[in-house]
Amino acid sequence: MILSVKNLTKKFGDFTAVNNISFSIKKGEIFGLLGPNGAGKTTTIKMICGLIKPTSGEITIDGINALENPLEAKKLIGWMSAESILDEDLTVWENMEVQAKLHNFNKFEEKAEELLKYFDIYNFAKNKVSNLSTGMRKKLEIAMALINDPSILVLDEPTIALDPNTRAALWEVIERANKERKVTVLLTTHYMDEADRLCDRIAIIDHGKIIANDSPSNLKKKYGNTTLEIKTKKEVELKGYEYQKEGNNYIISVKDLSNDISKIIKLVGENNIISINVNNPSLDNVFLRLTGRKISEEKTESTKIYRILKSSR
Amino acid sequence: MSLQQIFVLYKREFKKIYRSKYTIFMLLIQPLMWLVFFGSSLGRLPTALTQELFKTSNYLSFILPGVLSLVMLFVGMFASMSLIQDKRYGYLRRIMVAPVNGEVPLFSKLLGGLTRGLIEVPIVLIIGIAMGASIDFSLSSVLIMIASVVLLGITFSSVFLLLTLKTSDLQAPGVISSLILFPLMFSSTAIFPSNLFPSWLELLSKFNPLTYSVDLIRNAFLGYSFNLNYLIFLLVYAIIFLFLDFILGRKYLSSE
Repeated sequence: MILSVKNLTKKFGDFTAVNNISFSIKKGEIFGLLGPNGAGKTTTIKMICGLIKPTSGEITIDGINALENPLEAKKLIGWMSAESILDEDLTVWENMEVQAKLHNFNKFEEKAEELLKYFDIYNFAKNKVSNLSTGMRKKLEIAMALINDPSILVLDEPTIALDPNTRAALWEVIERANKERKVTVLLTTHYMDEADRLCDRIAIIDHGKIIANDSPSNLKKKYGNTTLEIKTKKEVELKGYEYQKEGNNYIISVKDLSNDISKIIKLVGENNIISINVNNPSLDNVFLRLTGRKISEEKTESTKIYRILKSSR
Repeated sequence: MSLQQIFVLYKREFKKIYRSKYTIFMLLIQPLMWLVFFGSSLGRLPTALTQELFKTSNYLSFILPGVLSLVMLFVGMFASMSLIQDKRYGYLRRIMVAPVNGEVPLFSKLLGGLTRGLIEVPIVLIIGIAMGASIDFSLSSVLIMIASVVLLGITFSSVFLLLTLKTSDLQAPGVISSLILFPLMFSSTAIFPSNLFPSWLELLSKFNPLTYSVDLIRNAFLGYSFNLNYLIFLLVYAIIFLFLDFILGRKYLSSE
């Protein structure tokens, strides 16, 4: 195990941001912490990176107890925060230099050059960071996170607030780093498609608790049934099926689509159907099933974040 | 604590100083203002009176060591502003995710502040001399001046950094400086000699490190004798505060 987190809890006053979570990450995998804003993802990351102290629990990074030996553990971490953190007044190269020397690498030049070339930004080495595009900044931040050959690359919301093209490009960068450089990755996200596309395994976190932890395909198999969405003229009774109803709109979970669809059509009556729609299994369905909400439907989000901010001051 | 970490962060501070046009402008213009306004304020006092009060016939010669020391009083504010900016923009987070102890960023800010002050010192001297201050220049007087301003800069940068260790409020350094600058300035011998002070202020001035720096430089520049105790006093101040930076910085500096 590269990272193992055991019974980790963080309280801010009487608000529990992270509630007794446990998970572990194997060497070489991309592990995703998936959850809505305010679920406790960033708090978890900050505890793993040693920026805040947990209320209780254990964190082990590549065999090192991160709470007893924070400096040793930090040597093994490469980190990129959700918001871009670079020194705008310095050049790309100078930012690399600071990062390398904070890790006590005196002879960083070769490694820095290799990384900048690898991520295709070596031509901008002498440019001030303030002149870089968002995509290039992200690449630089990942390059900086890799300068110490970390055991684990920790990416907090790597693609938040990026345009679709930049997002896709960054996904490729992360995948390449993982496959070609054999870097283990822990990332947090609230984008279902991102978790589905990138992660080997996902822990779904909600209200500070992990409610599911598996590979995306297993999660979809377990919780993400195919659903049929049917709009009808008259009300119907769908005996033997699990469904949600809103007016004359029915969302029906089906196990065996080809078999069930004809049965359901018979039950509803062909003339009664206005429209019919098949939703394939997706992580959206998984999240809906597990929490009863869509991931984007967080009405209390802003008040929750405000509470966290207030109590962490 | 690693010197390499402190040094690379200090290099960053230094680059930020010379890459900012406004900083350069301020470093040049501030000493000029000090000398022009302070130095001229008592310019028309009768010579005999100036001689009696200030032990020199030229008030500018009297005030120049004061201005040199006051410059170092201000650097603390910049050191702590720079620290708070790093907290605000998350840069401190980047630093603290690396295997870095809390005193490392603190010492780099301290050196950055000190450097700002030391850049101003020769500018103040040149402007002062150009305006007519007479200085007894010698190797020993220059060394005494350098030692005094360095120790004073360390002390005041440390004080500011310690006072703003736990805050990320950008207003804090300004508030602190307006709270402590005037008491420190006027309870020292920077602008007026202590023989004009009421007894309570004179007592206060004996605890003020500014007094010792000013008197050391003034004695050196006006050709009076050197007082080793003053230098020891400044050294003790600097060491105590460096030590506090180390202990409290390691324990309490946090990016969150």
